[in-house]
Amino acid sequence: MIEFKNVSFSYDSKAKEHTIKDVSFKIEKGEFVSVIGSNGAGKSTVSKLINGLLKPSSGDVIISGTNIKTVPASRLSKEVGFLFQNPDRQICCDTIKKELSFGLKLAGISEEETEARVMEVIRDFGFEPDTNPFLISRGERQRVALASLIALRPEIIILDEPTTGLDYNECTHIMEKVKELNSVGVTVFMVCHDMELVLDYSERILVMSDGKIICDSVPHNAFRNEAAMKSACIIPPQIIELGIRLKNGFESADTTDEMASLIAERRNS
Amino acid sequence: MISISDFSFKYDGAEKNVLNNINMTIEDGDFLGIIGHSGAGKSTLTYAINAIIPHYYKGDFYGAINIDGLDTVDTNLTDISKLVGSVCQDIDSQMVSAVVEDEMLYGLENFDIPKEEIEERICSALNEIGISHLRKRNINSLSGGQKQKVAIASIIALKPKILLLDEPTGELDPQSSRQVFLLLKEMSEKHGITVIVVEQKIMLLCEFAKHLAVIDHGKLIVHDKVEKVLESSEILEQSGINCPRTVTLSNALRKQGIENIPVCKTVDEAEKMVKSLIEKEDSLND
Repeated sequence: MIEFKNVSFSYDSKAKEHTIKDVSFKIEKGEFVSVIGSNGAGKSTVSKLINGLLKPSSGDVIISGTNIKTVPASRLSKEVGFLFQNPDRQICCDTIKKELSFGLKLAGISEEETEARVMEVIRDFGFEPDTNPFLISRGERQRVALASLIALRPEIIILDEPTTGLDYNECTHIMEKVKELNSVGVTVFMVCHDMELVLDYSERILVMSDGKIICDSVPHNAFRNEAAMKSACIIPPQIIELGIRLKNGFESADTTDEMASLIAERRNS
Repeated sequence: MISISDFSFKYDGAEKNVLNNINMTIEDGDFLGIIGHSGAGKSTLTYAINAIIPHYYKGDFYGAINIDGLDTVDTNLTDISKLVGSVCQDIDSQMVSAVVEDEMLYGLENFDIPKEEIEERICSALNEIGISHLRKRNINSLSGGQKQKVAIASIIALKPKILLLDEPTGELDPQSSRQVFLLLKEMSEKHGITVIVVEQKIMLLCEFAKHLAVIDHGKLIVHDKVEKVLESSEILEQSGINCPRTVTLSNALRKQGIENIPVCKTVDEAEKMVKSLIEKEDSLND
């Protein structure tokens, strides 16, 4: 479980205003939560407070019962996996197998257990173990970075713009894998600018603006919260935007199929 | 005008060609979107247009590329770069200065722009991109999105005839991404600048570009008006490109047997289409 209790944070202790301003929320185990908002709204800062890379200036961040102020970030890394926007900030070994073993060794996992876990993710992702990760596409490198997190079997996965620079197929590969993890109880916390993706995969959305959470709701309602969308400079997914404009019952549609059915019903009535 | 004839390229040391037999003409003032899967050869095509290939990246170069009649093989890189302004995918690799205004000065001084003109060009480029307040800022203190805007402003200040951008909105939120595309559209429509942009965000390309080129495994699969490309959305899907949901909606309605459904590139167009469908039905029922 992730719990923020009145958390404020500043990068500069002399700054007049906090980057994160009195934020409180609770995420239960197994939820898939996305955070949306404009550049500089505080989304990435919140992610870094969850994995302990940053400590709150005031308030408390509790991860699975542990207050992050009381433990080093390295302790949390076993429980909280962080997938960076750019896989090159994460990858450091010259073969995929070494890369996948790296985090496990640092976490003190035995050699035997490391080998077993690495071979399991290699099979699962269909990797060639001796491939140099720097000689494959960015999308593939992002999959290697995700696989190295999965090998650590974290309870929580944070995805910071996981699909930037990826094409649609690569993006789908990453997201389907994340969905699979979520279905077996891993909590997912995703920062994302692609609203179609957020709608397709999340079960809850936190909308951030100017360091505050201005809406916390299921996607269906969050994207229809006009004031929150305006304040966070967000354009809702296309079908939702279309429904809002058409009104007359069309505003209930989230997906293309739902909208097509509503149009068919209306034509047949 | 840019003319690409029978162009193929293989990087030194690579086993096979990255691009194969590309033929395309890009007219002055066009707004062309280039889309395709990772590794399709999109960035290589941009390197060929701004002549980084063959002057910097070496390899086997077949065919010919002409920019305003200048053959990129025979013309030096400086002369081509006066015509073609480029914004790289990796913004950090483009920045050479510590402070925003110095970054802008670098290009202007290198191009021998008269001193009295420099100040006006810096002010107007910063103003157009909406980042005048960042002029004195240290580049290292800027966010990814702000750096992207600085890179674009630095190129616009050079007043190139052709603007070439490789994924210019990668780090930007949806609103800032739209702002960049609105600006590019203005560059193309008001100032007659040819805009060529490699972009994965298909919705932005559909809304703003005039033409779309789809590259798949080193081949140019289609190069046509955006509407035409979207009409055959299966080509996009086969190349691993996700169509905008409004296009998928048009296709779904056609499958229901409704005739004369236009391809809707944007929510505006979809709204008009659905309203006219319903109105037609309501008037028939009356």
